[in-house]
Amino acid sequence: MFSMFKNLVGSKMLTQEDVAPVLDKFREHLVSKNVAAEIAQKLCESVSAKLEGKVLGTFSTISATVKTALNQSLIQILSPKRRVDILRDAMECKQQRRPYCITFCGVNGVGKSTNLAKICFWLIENGFRVLIAACDTFRAGAVEQLRTHTRKLNALHPAEKHGGQQMVQLYEKGYGKDAAGIAMEAINFARDCHIDIVLVDTAGRMQDNEPLMRALSKLIKVNQPDLVLFVGEALVGNEAVDQLTKFNQALADHSNMTNPRLIDGIILTKFDTIDDKVGAAISMTYITGQPIVFVGTGQTYTDLRNLNAKAIVHALLK
Amino acid sequence: MVLADLGRKITTALRSLSNATIINEEVLNGMLKEICSALLEADVNVRLVKQLRENVRSVIDFDEMAGGLNKRRMIQSAVYKELVKLVDPGVKAWQPTKGRNNVIMFVGLQGSGKTTTCTKLAYYYQKKGWKTCLICADTFRAGAFDQLKQNATKARIPFYGSYTEIDPVEIAKDGVDKFKSENFEIIIVDTSGRHKQEDSLFEEMLQVHNTITPDNVIFVMDASIGQACEAQAKAFKDKVDVASVIITKLDSHAKGGGALSAVAATKSPVIFIGTGEHIDDFEPFKVQPFVSKLLGMGDIEGLIDK
Ligand SMILES: Nc1nc2c(ncn2[C@@H]2O[C@H](COP(=O)(O)OP(=O)(O)OP(=O)(O)O)[C@@H](O)[C@H]2O)c(=O)[nH]1
Ligand SMILES: Nc1nc2c(ncn2[C@@H]2O[C@H](COP(=O)(O)OP(=O)(O)OP(=O)(O)O)[C@@H](O)[C@H]2O)c(=O)[nH]1
Ligand SMILES: [Mg+2]
Ligand SMILES: [Mg+2]
Repeated sequence: MFSMFKNLVGSKMLTQEDVAPVLDKFREHLVSKNVAAEIAQKLCESVSAKLEGKVLGTFSTISATVKTALNQSLIQILSPKRRVDILRDAMECKQQRRPYCITFCGVNGVGKSTNLAKICFWLIENGFRVLIAACDTFRAGAVEQLRTHTRKLNALHPAEKHGGQQMVQLYEKGYGKDAAGIAMEAINFARDCHIDIVLVDTAGRMQDNEPLMRALSKLIKVNQPDLVLFVGEALVGNEAVDQLTKFNQALADHSNMTNPRLIDGIILTKFDTIDDKVGAAISMTYITGQPIVFVGTGQTYTDLRNLNAKAIVHALLK
Repeated sequence: MVLADLGRKITTALRSLSNATIINEEVLNGMLKEICSALLEADVNVRLVKQLRENVRSVIDFDEMAGGLNKRRMIQSAVYKELVKLVDPGVKAWQPTKGRNNVIMFVGLQGSGKTTTCTKLAYYYQKKGWKTCLICADTFRAGAFDQLKQNATKARIPFYGSYTEIDPVEIAKDGVDKFKSENFEIIIVDTSGRHKQEDSLFEEMLQVHNTITPDNVIFVMDASIGQACEAQAKAFKDKVDVASVIITKLDSHAKGGGALSAVAATKSPVIFIGTGEHIDDFEPFKVQPFVSKLLGMGDIEGLIDK
């Protein structure tokens, strides 16, 4: 792909003009791998600034030098400054005799409910008892979708295998009700019944839909979940930037707090549908600085992975 | 939608042609660069953008061409022709025929908006006086039948589905047979979300298709999709005979440029757009008026007629 830039330059100081044409190609390449145009541009600018004035090794080409620098930047973007350790945190809550609460949010149809169910499966496998709070009270079938998952998960992990304890329950109040209120009731219910973890499903909403964004902020403000996960699909293009910026912005704006709860982590879904066009992973982490906690790789309960930063960067630069 | 939003940027880029005293390769390249980066920011497929650039460039031969005005006009009309190509596959949209059964099958990626849009389309025709119904042939997704049932009930549209049958082919067949015998005019079949990487899902789609032999296959695409659209759209087209496209979620901030590559990949026109979660957030999309509106925008027309 970049072989045309293998002209040997010998040892010299790099200038912006030297790297510009090479970086231009890389930028275009990143966009073709579905990195948002704006992010690809910023990335290349930062690599250019980093390389300016560096001395080029005798046997290295500009292209190879740029590629190495870009590789490093990409790995850095994908490497979390903070680790989200759900199992440890949930265990800690359990010792404090209070439920650990995760809220799932995102735009319509990205996979919030499905990946909530996958995470529920993973938590059960790790010995936790879970309450699913059906706080999408708007979309047709949303409650029945979660009820089906609850039934299937209990069938996979019957109470007999867990000392007579039912591993997952559904807390639902049907449609049309206030989501924040249901979440609160669910958390209280979990506390009373000594259930370890509450998973709050929310309705999909567009980031520009002011009333719906306000309602989400309220849900998070009044319930103060331990973890707020943003669910975004790997299929999304430039829109990833706007989604995450505005979800964070809404949480900040409507909270009326000095230290508002923002997005703590990302679930990157539908990773199995994009071949090597893995750029959304970069766009999402670049914007938030938050880690991709899970990657969704299919439609069954076991299709949940950790992010492999190296593999993503490899696919991006290929 | 993408072209409407791009209108201003493109006008500005084209105006740089009018303002330049001479039109040389540099001016043209500058303008093309602006237009192409605007298209890429709107998620238009990278390959299509490249093609657009090359096609516009190939129209102009700087050595042979004379007058500045002539160059301007040629460049401008080349740009427009290419932009129009993005939305207009040059195929007439399928239309249902009154007084007989028209079977319409919905296909698309997971979560793109098929089930929601099925009801919207049924409601659209019902309001126009067609005898309309819905069939849920998604036996995979949890709660799929409940979703369609609740939507259909609210809109008072007859529906068919099953909680126990696990074979979508059986349900689709039974439903279509039933509604055909009851002389329904618009019979809409909803199917599970699927993607090209999973063969068994594509095989299932083919079987449903071959069993019900739909009059129209509609590919539903989310407006926020990026560069992955083309390969998926092409794979759907290769498997079943996609003839129409519906772009959903245009109420988002997304410009829908990625979804447009579905038009190129399936050689099928966009027939409706979805603009919200409610049943009447739905508009017919007509390529020609859309394009004329774009061409008629403000001084663009003036530029062209010079
Ligand atoms: N291929 C694939 N499909 C997925 C994945 N995650 C979810 N899906 C599918 O995406 C579709 C939508 O998933 P949902 O969980 O209903 O999405 P949601 O975000 O809850 O949707 P709304 O509540 O309507 O906003 C379903 O068909 C899921 O099976 C994934 O990782 N890979
Ligand atoms: N804002 C907005 N949301 C939409 C639109 N069309 C559909 N949705 C939402 O997108 C989500 C997914 O829609 P579905 O109709 O369930 O999608 P699907 O393609 O049937 O999903 P699967 O059957 O799981 O593949 C739901 O939350 C819908 O309410 C639209 O035009 N605008
Ligand atoms: Mg959901
Ligand atoms: Mg559906």
